[in-house]
Amino acid sequence: MTARTKTLLGFAIVAVVLGLVPNVVEVLDAPGFYLTFLFTMFFWISQSSSWNILTGYSGYFSFGQGAWFGIGVYTTGILATKHGWPFLVALPVAGLVAGAAGLLLGLVVFRLRRLSGEIFALTTLAVSFVLASVARLTSLIDGGRGIFMTGTPLPEFLGDFRTSMYRMTLVIALLTVLTAYLIFESRLGWGLFSIRDDEEVARGLGVPTFRYKMTALGTNAFFGALMGGVWALQIGFVTVEDVFNIRVPLLVILMAVLGGMRHWMGPVVGAAIIYTLTDRLNSAGLADVNQVIIGALLIVMVLGVREGIYLRIRARWIASGVIFFGAMAALTVFDLTSSLIWDFSYALLITMAMLLIPTPLWERLTRSRITAPPSDRPPEQPVPSKTAGT
Amino acid sequence: MNLLTCTSISKRFGGIRALDGVSTSIEEHEILGLVGPNGSGKSTLINLLSGLYAADDGQAVFGDRDLLRLPPEKIAAAGVARTFQIPRPFDTMTVRENVSVSYMFGHRRHSLEAARDAASEWLAFTGLEAVADSPVDQLTLHQLKFLELARALATEPTLLLLDEVLAGLNPTEIDQSIEMIKRIHERGIALVIVEHLLRVVTSLSHRIVVLDQGRVIASGDPTEVMEDPAVVAAYLGGSRPNA
Repeated sequence: MTARTKTLLGFAIVAVVLGLVPNVVEVLDAPGFYLTFLFTMFFWISQSSSWNILTGYSGYFSFGQGAWFGIGVYTTGILATKHGWPFLVALPVAGLVAGAAGLLLGLVVFRLRRLSGEIFALTTLAVSFVLASVARLTSLIDGGRGIFMTGTPLPEFLGDFRTSMYRMTLVIALLTVLTAYLIFESRLGWGLFSIRDDEEVARGLGVPTFRYKMTALGTNAFFGALMGGVWALQIGFVTVEDVFNIRVPLLVILMAVLGGMRHWMGPVVGAAIIYTLTDRLNSAGLADVNQVIIGALLIVMVLGVREGIYLRIRARWIASGVIFFGAMAALTVFDLTSSLIWDFSYALLITMAMLLIPTPLWERLTRSRITAPPSDRPPEQPVPSKTAGT
Repeated sequence: MNLLTCTSISKRFGGIRALDGVSTSIEEHEILGLVGPNGSGKSTLINLLSGLYAADDGQAVFGDRDLLRLPPEKIAAAGVARTFQIPRPFDTMTVRENVSVSYMFGHRRHSLEAARDAASEWLAFTGLEAVADSPVDQLTLHQLKFLELARALATEPTLLLLDEVLAGLNPTEIDQSIEMIKRIHERGIALVIVEHLLRVVTSLSHRIVVLDQGRVIASGDPTEVMEDPAVVAAYLGGSRPNA
């Protein structure tokens, strides 16, 4: 069985297991917040994975995730409420609108040969500010009044509202991560990595850099808006201030950097960790100090695990598995916390503490006691300092 | 038969004429030495032919196309590859991955699977098998220069432009590099060699073109050209010959 077949089989298993969660929750009569917790996590996994297809793969640093998210929210908002389109028809249209907007932006910024990485980053940020103004001033879009999404009818086969949200976000998150994986293992992916490392050399070796950057940007925008479109329903009352703010772009960057931008799994792991911790701090009534704690933790983790958490988990997969599942089991069996989500977040924290042990020390500690790490262990490398090619 | 015909190529940087109406040609299977004092325009010519800079004027006809009007990726597809004087590997990739990427794109499109096999072949040819799966930051300068060669060769070129492959190497490494260049030539690839070590260029090249201040001041048989009074004057007026 090839590595690709194994991974695709893994995707299928994850899809089936997660797909059955609403049924399990119903049968066990478990609290509904489990579904909310999971679908919010799917939202962030999809957002940071889609961002990583552009920035992690090609090295072009984007602050524009809020723009794609916002286009998704407003396109479904307008089509589904003001024009009465069925939601599931409006949704892909939202993705395509953002994809087209992304290509339009790419046509401008990628054609300017001497555009530096900093200017690219600022341009993407400016796009969301421009979109915010346009939305606020145009009565056809928002006009400063906001859009009520609460009454949007959803197809019955999706179940109640919470289950519908769960199923839609799950499908989109799976599609995003699957796309990120397929690109990672393709000529497109390798072409993008070579652009990230040295765009001039890449072009000289025959990489069609313009077309590849456009593809990455378009894909990023498409998935950002697709998930944004679903999220309009969760927001309920859509306002410009809630949609086009700096929160989405900043969080997706943090998630991808923490998890590791060099692997398709990095943003998935990063999003799961950051979302879980934010959610628990909020739920513990620590919303005010939330950002301070998360910020401090990020600094420690990013400096301590330069290659990203995912690659370090892979390098220490036995220890990670034993510690994480051991902690989960202990916390659950002894019923030490009030919910599975708490067990999950404590297990995460304990595992992360182990991952923080520096590699040289770790190798000395484990040399004789634990069997050798897997042979496909990737080289540990620092986070890229380069923001874009020339 | 001419593989590449350059006609009155010019390039200015601000007020400086880096190249001033350069005309020359290279035949199939030929090794052409491109020499001249510092700042004479050798590297500029390589940069124009590989599409890194845009020319102000002139033509460089390769097959039925003008390289000066093609973007770098099309030049690679046409079958022209280059190396950089200071190696520029993809530094987040292993040695093998560097070569694979080059084969995947390059002259023709190839799949990932095909690229892994082809990379092994070029790594063997350049003697880099031992470090094939190392990250590039563990390589010596000599190995990095050979990686530049392996990566250029993996694009399957018919014309290879070598920008000072020997600079910074010790005598043993230089001898190995010369052997490597001969073996590349034996595969039927035409070469343009930019080099400071005149002893090496004159022994390797079939023909030599001497540039001075952006103009061709002499060309022809290596030993005859190096005795040309104009060439001697250019070198004594600039940096001293290394022969």
